[in-house]
Amino acid sequence: MFQVSVAPGNASLRTEGTREGITEGMRVMASSKRAGNDFGFQFSAMASVCEVRIARLGRRKAEQLARLAIDEVRRIECKFSRYRAASVVSRINAAAGSGRPVDVDAETAGLIDFAARLHGLSDGLFDITSGALRKAWDFRAGRLPRADAIEALLPLVGWNKVVWRGARIELPLQGMELDFGGFGKEYAADRAASLLQERGVSHGLVNLGGDIRVIGPRPDGQPWQLGVQHPRERDRLLAEVPMASGALATSGDYERYFELDGARYCHVLDPRTGWPVTAWRSVSVVAPACLAAGALTTVAMLKGTDALPYLAAQNVGYLAVDQQGQLHQREAALTLN
Amino acid sequence: MKKAMPLWAACVVALAGCSSAPPQAWEKGSLAQPGMAMGSDPLGERYSQHIYTSKENASGGYGVGGGGCGCN
Amino acid sequence: MKRALQRKKFALVPAHGKGAVVLAALSLPGVWVAPAHAESAPDNGVIAFRYLHYEDSQPGLKRIKVNSPSLYLMTPIGPQWAVEGSAVVDSLSGATPRWQSSVSSASVMHEERKAADIKVTRYFDRASYTLGVSRSKEHDYASNALSLSGSWSSADNNTTWNLGVGGSSDKIDPTGGGFSGDTRDQKKNTVELIAGVTRALSSTDIVQFNLTYGSGHGYYDDPYKALDVRPDNRKQAALLGRWNHHLLGDQSTLRTSYRFYRDNFGIDAHTLQGEWVKPVTAALTFTPLVRLYSQSAADFYADARVDASGFPVLPALQPGQLNSGDQRLSAFGAVTLGLKTEYKLDAAWTVDLNLEAYEQRSNWRIGGSGSNGVDPFRARFVQLGASRKF
Repeated sequence: MFQVSVAPGNASLRTEGTREGITEGMRVMASSKRAGNDFGFQFSAMASVCEVRIARLGRRKAEQLARLAIDEVRRIECKFSRYRAASVVSRINAAAGSGRPVDVDAETAGLIDFAARLHGLSDGLFDITSGALRKAWDFRAGRLPRADAIEALLPLVGWNKVVWRGARIELPLQGMELDFGGFGKEYAADRAASLLQERGVSHGLVNLGGDIRVIGPRPDGQPWQLGVQHPRERDRLLAEVPMASGALATSGDYERYFELDGARYCHVLDPRTGWPVTAWRSVSVVAPACLAAGALTTVAMLKGTDALPYLAAQNVGYLAVDQQGQLHQREAALTLN
Repeated sequence: MKKAMPLWAACVVALAGCSSAPPQAWEKGSLAQPGMAMGSDPLGERYSQHIYTSKENASGGYGVGGGGCGCN
Repeated sequence: MKRALQRKKFALVPAHGKGAVVLAALSLPGVWVAPAHAESAPDNGVIAFRYLHYEDSQPGLKRIKVNSPSLYLMTPIGPQWAVEGSAVVDSLSGATPRWQSSVSSASVMHEERKAADIKVTRYFDRASYTLGVSRSKEHDYASNALSLSGSWSSADNNTTWNLGVGGSSDKIDPTGGGFSGDTRDQKKNTVELIAGVTRALSSTDIVQFNLTYGSGHGYYDDPYKALDVRPDNRKQAALLGRWNHHLLGDQSTLRTSYRFYRDNFGIDAHTLQGEWVKPVTAALTFTPLVRLYSQSAADFYADARVDASGFPVLPALQPGQLNSGDQRLSAFGAVTLGLKTEYKLDAAWTVDLNLEAYEQRSNWRIGGSGSNGVDPFRARFVQLGASRKF
């Protein structure tokens, strides 16, 4: 799991990446002193280290609100995690192939609609039914799948096969699975941040394992310096992105992977072939909402060499590292206030 | 006034040709740029307005509460 | 103007496929909420120092020099209050004409004016209210003013309305009784109203319209000028339109404004101003400026006339007849060219230098003929400023 640190101000590492490749970095000087009312609340959720940062509110109020935000993140985790038997996703997956459609509530319907829209907008690359392929890939063991394993699973993958009508969803073939992992964490970050904002927080952020949604700038009005993990060196930052609002999400080939005979196999699987993507070491996207940023990083990884024009057309900012270590970046044309 | 009319009309046409959608909350980044605020340099604007009010006859349009002076 | 229209960039409105993913995400409930507080005290305070040096002249004659340092402080007090204050000292020296453009050495003077003002603002969710007090004192003129204004924002924060009212009470006590020798202890009281609206038209455009109306009673004559008899009341109205347009290509801003002015002295005036805020590097910004001004003459303005020997002919006045030879009430046009250079030293400090050149000529009047026999008037002003955020 990659780690992203929110350096509270003085980290001196500037954006790396020249035409020659990533150069040796400068020493990172991170100040841990926090002036005034600036509280960070760490917790773990969705298999990640998470933090809610609230500034310019008294300690008691900040604690109260942080608790609410953390509860919201846990609620979403429980509701949509395919690893929890009671979740909506597990119920849908359990009914696969049974011929029974499952009724879902408005929130779930909204997310499924979003996933359906994204499937169309990404030429079929973003596909929440591609979770079934995990049965073929064992990243912990570091083994390639058997030749016929993927062939057997591919018929179970394909959003077009899902029956999604009204508020009822049906997975027609047994073994089909829905997986909200591609955007669940990002959605939770947005929900938690919006919740805090509605309750009076105007300086702070929500960081769920590197998917970050900023609520408002630092107490002094300056943007937060959000660090992006270096895709190859665990204890270094690739870049710092200054942000006073909006969201930053990152996908990379270093989060869950194994290397065999000099080739790297990462957890982002192409739904059409069942094999991992190879074009990018890391893609970070800046967008108004974390849900959009996270979905677009996944699509970018899947689009391979066509990723950058696609992201530009979606009007978002990005930071991408290719397999030669070269950095590509674009400023968001519509930055936020 | 006659000479100023075509200039002003062109401005109105240009304005109308701009994107007509009022910005959504996430589109307001450009509006927060320092040069975009209406009153971005209070002291400097005050000096300028004071000079023009003393050397010309017109005044007003910007705000209330300035107070007078015997400037010649 | 035509070429500018063709090259104009349209603000980025998502068309099919453009930004569609972002829009789809933003439309889910709870993913995005508009910030609740449209109005709140600024995050940072500002302290600023500014220095003006001004010189004007007419052909063959240097007139007035002004040196004016000023101090400005704005500080938020919590999220709901802010206090703003400024103090200025104007040091004037030089001569102003007693009649039209002629200057007599007896009208040379040295003047100092001290002024200060304080404003307190209270912020609510969608509204703010400001109370202001100001005082100005020079040895022959004192002014005390009070103002109250309010501003209200729409729910989407794209429209803000503002209303304001101000009143000032001035006392004029000319040195030596003025030109006539017996003008003393005069008063002038004025009330001003302003109503305006500011609107974000698109992601790159903001426009503002303000209507101001002022009504005053009292002493309006210029006590140091010969044969200066003006009405004892003045009604003025001005309509100002401003448009700020952000250019995404180079992150620069085009600011234009037009103001129409009319008063009961019979003067109509037009002001057109354009400036281009152009950032060159992250720290350096240039702002060139052009301003065009034109006004008609006051009804009671007396044209300059000279006799056969070239001496000014002063009109013969009936009792109570209005008259003024003050150049500022004549018909003329004026042009200002300016350049401001701003440099950000670091996150807190900014310094700037503003150079402006101004010229007034009667034959530059737009839409009519200028007044005769008035010499062109030139002024140069330089402003040096430093400000710090805290």
